Amino acid sequence: MGNFLAIPILLIAVILQATVVPQVRLLGGGPDLIFLATLAWSINARLEEGVVWSFIGGIFQDLLSAAPTGTSVFGMLIVVFGVSGIGSQVYRIGFLLLGGSVLVGTIVKQLSMYFVLTLAGFSIDWLVTLGYVLLPTLIYNLALIWPVYWILRGIQRRFSSNRSFSMR
Amino acid sequence: MPWRRTRLSFLFFSLFMCSCMIILSIIGTLAPAESVLAAPLNVMVGFADDTSRNLSALADDLSEIQSLRERNRELEAAWASAQAELVELREYRADYNRLSELLNYDAPARNQVTVAADVIQSYDPSAVLRTITINRGTRDGISEGMAVVTDQGMVGRIIDVTALASRVLLVTDPSSSISGRLQESREPGNVVGLLTGGLRMRDIPLDAEVSEGELVVTSGLGGNLPPDLEIGIVTSRRQFEFEITQEAEIRSLIDFDNLEIVLIITNFEPIDLTSFDDEEES
Repeated sequence: MGNFLAIPILLIAVILQATVVPQVRLLGGGPDLIFLATLAWSINARLEEGVVWSFIGGIFQDLLSAAPTGTSVFGMLIVVFGVSGIGSQVYRIGFLLLGGSVLVGTIVKQLSMYFVLTLAGFSIDWLVTLGYVLLPTLIYNLALIWPVYWILRGIQRRFSSNRSFSMR
Repeated sequence: MPWRRTRLSFLFFSLFMCSCMIILSIIGTLAPAESVLAAPLNVMVGFADDTSRNLSALADDLSEIQSLRERNRELEAAWASAQAELVELREYRADYNRLSELLNYDAPARNQVTVAADVIQSYDPSAVLRTITINRGTRDGISEGMAVVTDQGMVGRIIDVTALASRVLLVTDPSSSISGRLQESREPGNVVGLLTGGLRMRDIPLDAEVSEGELVVTSGLGGNLPPDLEIGIVTSRRQFEFEITQEAEIRSLIDFDNLEIVLIITNFEPIDLTSFDDEEES
């Protein structure tokens, strides 16, 4: 069920990302709603679902960007695998663990994106980008993960009562 | 399936698939699929962007009525004083027209054929790239490399075209580099974008007189863009002792975050200078 829900939920996220996020930007960064939705969903879902969410979310994001398709997927895949690994080790996701996942995940996702963009020939000033884009994005993501997690957890509880941990 | 048995092999398989997708996208193999998938997304984002802009504009209007009234008074006063200048400038134009006819010279700007387009996405979700998406594509005669302008000057260049939409690399993107010229002193330089949204003119000759407020226009050198398109005005200059050129900070008159309508210059044919390079190499 989670795979089917990915399309409408990530579609809403990408539309908000392209329309609302520009209005609330801090310096050059804003909340990465697709990343937050994928991370929040992956924490309590099967690994395969997280991977599907990463692909769908990343492709949606890249289709609206000048970046090559797949740029956003790369970092999200690493994050989803990491979160899945941590999730299998702990009984419940706590405040610190969620915050830590967003902190590390945002850095991994953004850095991998800058790396791919550099390889694709775009000019990225790494030092400026870290301060001007990554830092504000990190702050926003840390603030917004709680409501996003809460909303998506509610949807997960409603639609997927039988959790499977085949990969854990 | 065997590859799903272990987490690590699943990770490597997923990353491999993703890498293949990136490579195919860079070399253009995925372009038709991207074009088809992006079309409905662009329509939805365009609609949502329009609604969001209208709501935002309504909220701004309501909260700024008092300041708008004040601003209106100021503008009326400025308009009145500008009338005298306008009359003088009309005189200059008449003189210019006469002289141009005498010289049988036509400014390239006069012969520009443009296509108007709505901005359907004013922000690149990657946050590090500065691009916009417009609702004109190959069906409207748009092709890569065309210059995009407004009445306030240069917006950017088309870097990606589908049937119904195009992506514009803004002049403020760090990947953008335009050959510019200081309008009064006629000194050349390269105008590059900054991540912070500003512009910087590099490689200005050391002995050039650069004054604040001076207009910077496209030079037409390199044959990629028409000459004399406004890029911005000089806000400051700097010069280091150890460098043989100087730099100037440029401010565009365009509010790139709130672009709604742009014009694409469709009749300028970029000149391909690479053939000269090939001849030299051979």
